[in-house]
Formats: sequence, structure tokens, C-alpha cells
Amino acid sequence: MRDLYLLIRPRFLGFRNQLVLSEGRTRKRAFFMGGLGLAFCVFMFVLCSRVLVYFQSVDVIGDFLARYLLSMILLTFFSLLIFSHIITALSNLYLSKDLELCHSTPVSIEELFVSRALSTLMDGSWMLIIFGVPIFLAYAYVFAPGPGFYIALLHMNIAMVIIAAGIGILVTMILVHIFPAQRTRDIILLLSIFMVVALYIMFRFLRPERLVNPEAFFSVLQYVSALKVTDSPYLPTHWIAETLWGSLTESQGAVHLFEILLTWTTAGAIVVINVWAARAIYFEGFSKSQEAKKRLMGGKQVLDFFIRFVTRPFGGDLTGVIAKDIRTFFRDNTQWSQLLLLAALVVVYVYNFSVLPLDKSPVRLDFLQDGVAFLNMGLAGFVLTAVCTRFVFTAVSAEGEAYWIIRSSPLGFRRYLWGKYLFFLLPMLILGEVLIIVTNYFLDVTGFMMFLSSVTMFLMVSGIVALGIGLGAVYPNFRHQNIAQVSTGFGGVLYMIVSSLFIAIVIVLEAWPGYILFMSNVSGNPVTTYEWLFIIVSFLAALAVNAFAVVKPMRMGGRALQEYE
Amino acid sequence: MIKLINLTKTFRGLRAVDGINLEVKEGVCFGFLGPNGAGKTTTIKMMAGVLKPTEGRIIINGSDLAKDPSAAKRCVGFIPDRPFLYEKLSGLEFLHFIAGLYGVDNLPSLGRRISELLELFELSHWQEELIESYSHGMKQRLVMCSALIHRPKALIVDEPMVGLDPKAARLVKDIFREQASQGTTVFMSTHSLEMAEEVCEEIAIIQAGQIIAKGTGEELRHQAGSDGNLEHIFLRLTEGKGLAHERPLSSH
Repeated sequence: MRDLYLLIRPRFLGFRNQLVLSEGRTRKRAFFMGGLGLAFCVFMFVLCSRVLVYFQSVDVIGDFLARYLLSMILLTFFSLLIFSHIITALSNLYLSKDLELCHSTPVSIEELFVSRALSTLMDGSWMLIIFGVPIFLAYAYVFAPGPGFYIALLHMNIAMVIIAAGIGILVTMILVHIFPAQRTRDIILLLSIFMVVALYIMFRFLRPERLVNPEAFFSVLQYVSALKVTDSPYLPTHWIAETLWGSLTESQGAVHLFEILLTWTTAGAIVVINVWAARAIYFEGFSKSQEAKKRLMGGKQVLDFFIRFVTRPFGGDLTGVIAKDIRTFFRDNTQWSQLLLLAALVVVYVYNFSVLPLDKSPVRLDFLQDGVAFLNMGLAGFVLTAVCTRFVFTAVSAEGEAYWIIRSSPLGFRRYLWGKYLFFLLPMLILGEVLIIVTNYFLDVTGFMMFLSSVTMFLMVSGIVALGIGLGAVYPNFRHQNIAQVSTGFGGVLYMIVSSLFIAIVIVLEAWPGYILFMSNVSGNPVTTYEWLFIIVSFLAALAVNAFAVVKPMRMGGRALQEYE
Repeated sequence: MIKLINLTKTFRGLRAVDGINLEVKEGVCFGFLGPNGAGKTTTIKMMAGVLKPTEGRIIINGSDLAKDPSAAKRCVGFIPDRPFLYEKLSGLEFLHFIAGLYGVDNLPSLGRRISELLELFELSHWQEELIESYSHGMKQRLVMCSALIHRPKALIVDEPMVGLDPKAARLVKDIFREQASQGTTVFMSTHSLEMAEEVCEEIAIIQAGQIIAKGTGEELRHQAGSDGNLEHIFLRLTEGKGLAHERPLSSH
């Protein structure tokens, strides 16, 4: 037990030191991120409360819907927790840099395993707190249960996390026993991405918005009964849902002892099975994970041809940087596979516009079309911001610890940044224009609106990409384990906020002159001189904001890289 | 070729490098010695343009590193102590990438130059493999190839022997001597007194961020008042202070 304590201690010491020794700037960042997390919790609480209040207002099936929503939430959490623990177990048990040191010490393999499993449990389950607590509190707010609910909530969720972590860790140990750890990580990440894409598209095409349409209640009942298939009495989430629902709705003292015992004995059993399995196969798997990996470089000729084509307009130094970026991207399974997520996002975005029931709206159709087209510009801008947060904001940090090569080379920082900017600009422009033109086609907007949207998107993309490259250089992280983590850090969140503000300003500056022109067209009254002046000033201001969004962050980025140590 | 003028670097109030003045002539192999935490790597990183000095100037081949970084860096080949590279590139692709950065990618002789270097560092067989499958020593040899690809006028090297087997270490010593004989200035920090004694014509010893001795082996013997080998002189000049004087500098 002493060894176990010693093995876990560095993690707590590190956390404490980070809190105690962090400088003012780091603390401010922590508070900022904490504030955002809290705001998200409040948002989830309000959203979930409103849904539950709405369900309660529906006769006959209100409680039924709330009960199944709880089941669905628990099932979703449980599945996500298993996946999350598989990924974190791979890092904690096999790929972490300090494992070599730990394995070389005279600590028993069981204690080493348990210490790493505990770290995995903490790393893989914090998500439940952020997402879960506000949802469960919303249930408590709407159903006003006794204290038994809170006790059940706490211990049943702990048991659920233990079971999910146990399954995740066990699956990881078996996979690494069969494949090398590095290959397993790629396989798992690829499978997760395929699963997320499939679930996302499937969920969207089920058209859940029909749930709030009273005319579709017949189909809702069918829908809900279909959901029932996903719940099984053999699943831990069923036992947890039964217990929680019981303490929410039944009279005091109605304790679902059988379900509680089932849950906790399962949790205990899974811990014992994990320790047994670790004794048998953990060290062998760790040993295999230390072996050098040799990979095949498939599609080299295609990649070389693509690189020659893409880098033609750039000089020798930038060609090298861009070619390196493209090769790294397509050879890293964790990188290129995220393009699938991007494709799913675009498909669902376009699909949403194809099923908009504009004809059922009481508002005049042409007015609504142009209004939605303005909203569409903003939404497409936000979609592009999300995409850029993952791919463009991280472009500088993607150099990783090899950044010394760029830094010590004669390539100037400004030229380096502008090279990255131009490289990302074209694909983002294509994406932005495709989004806006296809969705405007579905909206059947006027020729003027189509022109205005296309030009605005062209200018906005220039700004969004420059903000991404520039702020990515101001807040670089060259010591990341995984590039995707960079986009969720302080700089990434700040970029999303700044880019969203930029989009909002441009839309506001264009919306009012757009409205004047539209109204003049509808009413047949000519636009007055004063209105023309206002329109010109507004469009010029929008243009100036775009130019500022391109030049300023790029300059800031260049300066920051120069000062970076 | 290399001139350091009042070079200073401060980390949170601590002077890691404290007003260093040094001049290294063309074609000289210069050893930079010092105990752990003396400021060797910080100085080297500033010379390579990876760290920004708090004060002072670095002149390389007549170009001020702060005023005209591109011209200064174009003359330098930098070999860091830890070879962090782009793991998803093959060795050959990495060398072409570096050639592009240093503007020698269009030279008709580039292919031959790369082949020569890969042959020299015994990496030809591995050139098509991804760097992620290389051992530490292979990565270190690949960095050396990349540092020589543009025929630099100055080689700046931080701990060149880390991770190299005896055969590769012998090769590196020979290459440094050969480079110096061809007019390249080699500036290297090392812990290996044997290496410094064998390869370097001039040596400087840094302690607590300041140069405490400088000159040829003979001049150092004179300064230390010792007739012994370099180890003896080093211990005498630093008064045996190694780890006892080590200070945390920064996260670098």
C-alpha cells in the first residue's frame, strides 16, 4: 500500500505545485477556463430543466419521456466513459514517459497497475462531472426529490465510473496484448471517429426535432418505443436508472436494494478481474509497447504528386514547410481521420437547410429567406471557426518540439506565418463558399443575397484564417502530446471567442444596409441619398474590419514568435 | 567568424549568462566547457537563434543575429543536444526539407550531397524509413547530416556525443576536425574533457554564466598553474564545483 501511495503522490504533488507556484497569468487563464466551464454547466442545467418542464406539461407520456431520457443519458455516458477510459488507459498504462522509470523500480506489478488505473479513472471521468452534474441537478430541480436521490446519485455514479473504467482498462490490456500499443491507439482512435461520425449522422437523420412537433406524436410514440430496445435489464445503466428514477419519483424509503447490490458487486468484480488480468498480461503488453515501430508508407506517389501540385506557387523554403505539414498530416491516422468528422459536419449542416420548413412559417417567404440567409452567413462562419480551431489554430503548434528547426533556420517568422496562412486559405475558402452557395440554393434566395453572401464569406474566411494562424502563434504549445489538445486550451477558446465576435460584427454591419435594400426592392420606393451614404459607410466599415482581422493577428503572431522562448 | 559581445540572458532575475565576450576565428574548433547549469546550453541556444538574449550582440560571419537573422542563420549549422525531429517524415524527406529552409534545394548537386552525407553517417539504408522508427543515435546522426547539408561556415554543437556509440563518436570527431581544416568554425559545448582535449584548438570554461578561463590548452595550463591534463585544469579552475553550484535556470 505504501508503494501505491508513493506512485500516486507525484500526480497530486504536480497538481499542487501547479496551483501554488503558478504565476498570475496562468491563474487568470485557469479562472477564465473555470468560468467558461461554469457557464457551460449553467447552460446545460437551464436547457435540461426546460426540456424536463416541457415533458411534464405533456399528458400521459410526460414521465415516460423523462424516464427514457434519463436512461438514454446514462447509456450515452456509460458508452462514452468506456471509450474515454480505453484511450486514457493506453496513455497511462503503456505510453506515458515516466513508465520506464516506474517499471525499473522494485514496486510490484499489481501496485503499479492499480496506481495507473486510478490515474486513468480520474483522467477518463472528469467529463461526467462537467456534463452530468447539471443534467442530474436539473432532474432534482424539476422533480424535487428527497435526500435519498442525492445519495443514490453520488454512489451509483461512482459505481458506474468504476465499471466503465474497469471495462475500458480490460479492453485496452487485451488489445495491447494482441497488437503493439502504438498501433492499438491508432485503431481505437479510428474506430472512435467512425463511430462518432456514424452516430452523429444517424441521429440527425432521425430528425429529433419532430419530438417537439405535436402533430407528430404518433411517430414520437413509435420513436420512444424504439428507444426502449436500447435498454436491457442486464446493463448497469438500467440498474442505475431504476435506482435514480425510483428515488426521484417514489415515496421516501423506496430503496432499490437489488439494483444497488447488482451495481456494486459488478464494480467490485470488475476491479478484481482487472487486477488478475494485469498480473497475467500487463507487463508483457508494456514490454511490447517499448518495441520500435516500423510503418509502411502507403500512397507515397499520390502524396508526392499532390504536394508538387499544392506547393507550386511557393518558394523553396515554404515548399519544404508545407510539404512537411502535408506528409505529417496524412501519415498520422489521428490527424487525417478527423477530416471524416469535418465531412459529417458539412453534410449535416447542408441537410439541415434542405429540411427547413420555411413554407409553414407565418412570415413572408422572401423576407424570411433573406433573414435566414444572413443567419446562415453567421452560422457558416461559426462552422468554419470550429474547423479552423482544430486545423488552422494548431498549425504553428503542430511543429511540436521540432520547432527549433524552424527557429534556427534562416526562414523569417513573418514569411513562415504568411506561408501557413496562404496554404490554409484556399481549402477554407472552398469549404466556406460551398457551404454558403449550397445552403443559399436550398433557401432559394435572391441573386443579390447570393452575391452578398458569397463576397462576405470570401472576406470573412480571410479574417477567420488569419485570426487562427496569428493567435495560434501568440499562444503556441510546442510540448503537446496530442495536437488536438492544443485547440481546447486557453488560446483555442480565446480564438473561438474572438473569431465569433468578428463574425458577429461583420454580419451586423451588413444586415442593416441589406435590410434597407431589400425593403426598397419590396416596396418599390427608391433608396434615399442618406440611406445610400449609410449603406456605403456600413459596407466600407465591414471591409475595414475584415482587413484589420487579417493584418493585426498576423503581425501579433510574427512578433510573438520572435519573442518566444 | 563568431563574436559574442556582452552576451547576457536573465531568467526571472537570475543571470544564466552574464556578459560573455568571446571571439572565435574562422577554421577553429572551439570547445565550450563548464559544470552543469553553468550556462553552456543557454549560450548555444542564443547563438543558434533559438533563445533571445536579454542584452548583448551575436555576430556571425559579419551579420548581427538580431538585426539580420536570416543572413546570420544561413551561415550556421546547429546540432542541439536533444534531436527532436518531425517523426512522420522519412530521413530523406527531412533532409530535403532542411535543404529547402536553407535555400539549397535547387542546387543540382543536392542529391549527391545528401547521398554523401547519408553514406558518411551510415544512414543510407534507413533513408526511406520514417524517423519515428530511428534510435536516439540515428536521430542524432540525421541531425548532423542536416546541419552539414548547406555547407555552413559555422557549426554550433551542443553536447555532440550524447547517444552515439564509440564508432559514431570517432566519426564525429574526425568530421569536426575535417570541417575545421576546411575553414568551418566549430563551436561546441561538451562535458567530455577527452573530446575537448582531442578535438579543440581553443577552449573556454564557463561557470555561473561567466567565462572564467579561455585559450589554448597550454594557455589554460598556465592560467590554472597546473601541468596536468584538461580534467585536472578544469577541476582546478572550477574548484571542483559541479552539481553543488547547479541552479535551476528555466524550463529550457
